[in-house]
Amino acid sequence: MTKTGMIDFRGVNKWFGELNVLKDITLSVEPREVVVVCGPSGSGKSTLIRCVNGLEAIKDGDLVVDGQRLGNPATNMTQLRTEIGFVFQSFNLYPHKTALENVTLAPIHVRKIPRTEAEKAGRELLAKVGLADKVNAYPAQLSGGQQQRVAIARCLGMRPKIMLFDEPTSALDPEMISEVLDVMVAVAEEGMTMMVVTHEMGFARKVAQRVVFMDAGAIVESGTPDEFFSHPKTDRSRAFLSKILRH
Amino acid sequence: MIWQQLQSLAGSYPLALRGLGMTVVLSLISLVLGTLLGFGLGILRTGGNRLVGSLIGAWVDLIRGTPFLVQIFLIFFILPELGIELDAFTAGIIALTNLAACFICEIVAAGIRSVPTGQVEAALASGLSRWQRMRQVVLPQAMRIVLPPLVGQYVLLIKDSSVVSAIGLTDLTRVGWLVVQRVPNGLLVFFLVGVGYFIVCYPLIMLARRLERRMGAAHGEVQL
Repeated sequence: MTKTGMIDFRGVNKWFGELNVLKDITLSVEPREVVVVCGPSGSGKSTLIRCVNGLEAIKDGDLVVDGQRLGNPATNMTQLRTEIGFVFQSFNLYPHKTALENVTLAPIHVRKIPRTEAEKAGRELLAKVGLADKVNAYPAQLSGGQQQRVAIARCLGMRPKIMLFDEPTSALDPEMISEVLDVMVAVAEEGMTMMVVTHEMGFARKVAQRVVFMDAGAIVESGTPDEFFSHPKTDRSRAFLSKILRH
Repeated sequence: MIWQQLQSLAGSYPLALRGLGMTVVLSLISLVLGTLLGFGLGILRTGGNRLVGSLIGAWVDLIRGTPFLVQIFLIFFILPELGIELDAFTAGIIALTNLAACFICEIVAAGIRSVPTGQVEAALASGLSRWQRMRQVVLPQAMRIVLPPLVGQYVLLIKDSSVVSAIGLTDLTRVGWLVVQRVPNGLLVFFLVGVGYFIVCYPLIMLARRLERRMGAAHGEVQL
């Protein structure tokens, strides 16, 4: 076995019916590395990161996460998922629970941390994402940007080794994007291993070691943010960049 | 003559109370058991095991597609042929519980299906177990959808309990039949029987209406 990263795709394929949504993906993410995944819609980038915590199953190839092979009957997916935070485009906060309860639910029930301790840690996390005054608010009482920051705090509450972000700012009004990106930058700077599906180039330039460009289910190009944004190598990435840069 | 009938009716007061008591006890026991069983079946039905799900679906369809009177007769008259002796009260409880469970199963399953998949995915991604996902994330949200029709169903089931008089249980409806033999004024007697059912059901009807209004507006935990 060769050197393994924190997340290792080796020849991964996936189909939705006839559609080959992931084509022969090989990609390794090192510990503490931040990888930004971009590409046109329908290119398979969300599917790619949803495979990492098993929200989507792969058809063939190997996917090894934190030393455990997915699809292997010996791998305890529930256990592995506690090490992987996932931030959704649509936040998916629990609407019947307060911000603090959203953050403490999994630590209390999965990690079995005593309630008082979990609530103390939860308050600290909410303060860290700038929401100390929203501890007892319900999601419906929060703006999109605030909800997404609670969602990030909810992941951090599990002290994960990996965090996955699926277009975390795409559902937000423009003026709320930066407050979420600021939190993500802070998480990245603390040394979190991250895969982030986003078109936010400022974020990519600031913290990503690598940008991966996908099109039609395949990884077309990969490089440092500078290489990719300043000197894209393929026609498809140039076409994509000219579209997102025009605005 | 009407005066005599009223006097005679007043004499039937203890019997009427006993009948009302029987209706209430029978309904209460069946609704509690039926609710527990119905939630269990509803959760299993949506639980992902296709065989279990379709078996439950078939049973629910069978029960919903046959008259309750026929079901009671089957339980009360056919089971003894197979060597299972049941008194009328037990047979009534079994039949009503089964009926309640089947209707409640469908209500609960619909509520569970109404919870957005993103909620289940978020719970999955945090490493919650199957039971924790159900208990902490899915059921509390499903309850908003489930509660109003559930209480409405209780009203229907209390009224359906009148069918048990057919196997000789002295519930409110049977008391009506007994009294009308002594007081030959069917209109008056069964008017009073109806009032008895209405007194039991009306608070539940009010509760269902209240819940329906609350579910529209409220966020946060569902409170009764």
